[in-house]
Amino acid sequence: MTKRLAGNVPKALSAPVSQGYSIDARKLTTRLLNASIKSGVSKGRHITILNPDARHNLAVGIVKRCSLSFAGSVGYYCCAFCDGISATIEGNSGWGLGDNLMSGSIVIRQDAGASVGASMRGGQILVWGNAGARAGISMKGGTLVIAGNSGFLTGFMMQRGRIIVMGGVGDAAGDSMYEGIVYVGGEIGSLGVDAKTESATRSEEVELRAFLKALKFRDDILPRRFKKIVSAKRLYQYDSLEPLERERLVI
Amino acid sequence: MCGIAAILYKTGESTRSQAVGLQLREMLYSMRHRGVDSTGVNIAGQHFGTDYVVRVVVSEDQGASHAIEGVRNAIAALGGSVVFINDFGRFRRIGLNYSGDLGKLSDSILSVKGAEIHSIGRSSEVIKDVGDAYELDKKHHFSKVNGTHGLGHVRLATESQVDITHSHPFWAYPFPDITVVHNGQLTNYHKLKREFQQRGFRFQTHNDSEVIAVYIADKLSRRRKLGDVLEESLDDLDGTFTYVVSTDSGIGMAKDRWSAKPFVILETDEIVGVASEEVALRRIFPDDVRRVEPQEHEVLTWNVSLAPRIKVRLN
Repeated sequence: MTKRLAGNVPKALSAPVSQGYSIDARKLTTRLLNASIKSGVSKGRHITILNPDARHNLAVGIVKRCSLSFAGSVGYYCCAFCDGISATIEGNSGWGLGDNLMSGSIVIRQDAGASVGASMRGGQILVWGNAGARAGISMKGGTLVIAGNSGFLTGFMMQRGRIIVMGGVGDAAGDSMYEGIVYVGGEIGSLGVDAKTESATRSEEVELRAFLKALKFRDDILPRRFKKIVSAKRLYQYDSLEPLERERLVI
Repeated sequence: MCGIAAILYKTGESTRSQAVGLQLREMLYSMRHRGVDSTGVNIAGQHFGTDYVVRVVVSEDQGASHAIEGVRNAIAALGGSVVFINDFGRFRRIGLNYSGDLGKLSDSILSVKGAEIHSIGRSSEVIKDVGDAYELDKKHHFSKVNGTHGLGHVRLATESQVDITHSHPFWAYPFPDITVVHNGQLTNYHKLKREFQQRGFRFQTHNDSEVIAVYIADKLSRRRKLGDVLEESLDDLDGTFTYVVSTDSGIGMAKDRWSAKPFVILETDEIVGVASEEVALRRIFPDDVRRVEPQEHEVLTWNVSLAPRIKVRLN
């Protein structure tokens, strides 16, 4: 399962950038700002959002291949409901960064707030700092990479995909997860309900290392071994197939 | 939802009298999307020139001046002397000298028909009203109030009425200078409140957050350390909460075991700013992107390192 998912993870998209330009968020309401981002995106340009000022709901609902960067911190639900974006955030984020991401890539240079990658279904999110509580809550696909530590309830109710935490995770890791894998390089505070640890296989380790190196993680900061948290499936009541997959099975 | 914010200047005499009011106004206004039912602040580390400043709000049912006269008489009856009264509509800011028991003074003021006490402090005062931070400032001019630390709140009412009485910060009746702002809901506050009432404590509202203030003040009055008290509160309080408490010497925060409510902190050598959202921190630290998010079941405290300024009056 891991290998198949890994194959599906898109590399950081290089959008068809013709000429970049910037938008000063300070001068615009959130609604106007998002409209400006969308119209710029449709012209295929790289957009830099200046003074994002930790405001909420920036760059939501963009379903085109595009390239964005935020010159500062963003608030709640940044890049939520997006499909195909490639975004970089130079500061921190509030709750729910990349909520429901379908595909594309989000990179955040500092810390992510709680619920990063909530319900994401594809693509990848890379947090260079730490993540707050409930990272990858209800994840349904894709890869969430956290270079620092991740908080309480990491991978809570996760249904698919994988979370790779280079540092440690807090208490109740993998609580009530159905499917998917949480890899942890550091310490695990405690395991959540119906979660268990397994040892990663040799091939998984090799694949993980190759994946992380491709993200420019230096060899010397990669953990020596990864712990692996999966569902113990004692409370398992779950059909992990997407509707399309189920149709295919029936046929 | 609710939003909370606090700021504290850490070091010594040189930094006393900072623009805490102004900064709180900007922080709270930036979080107005978290609640516009009411806004309130407590600005601490002030020099009043009197023993206490009492903040009261009076009902206009029988005329505000009638109630104010009652408050004046209540203070005088206990041997206190009013030095000044500032007038902000229905609100009064009363500077007074008084050397007796604060419980008696509070009860006496509260017994005046139509009077409610927002705070009694030796160096801090609570200013709160309905509306957003700028509306509050327009009426009460709190942005001009300086101090060493302070906290504030924007409210989206969940547990009790939308009015001035039930807006935050809550003062811990009748302990001077202890106030609380709270984001969340307590589920066991009825029980706690009953226990306190049986011990003779008085509450001015039906709000859950007022119980936190009294809980902390009660323990602090028994010479406990703020950090220890906050730690104990994590187990004694049930529900979701992130709250900040202000005392005469500093601030502290506690976050529940579910990490259900947001909170971020930005700390430098001189200042610490805390808020529900980073958007508020950006008002006082426009460029410094370092910030930490406390995790579940966490407690932190910060102190203003001032020499003790409060002289005990010995009559």
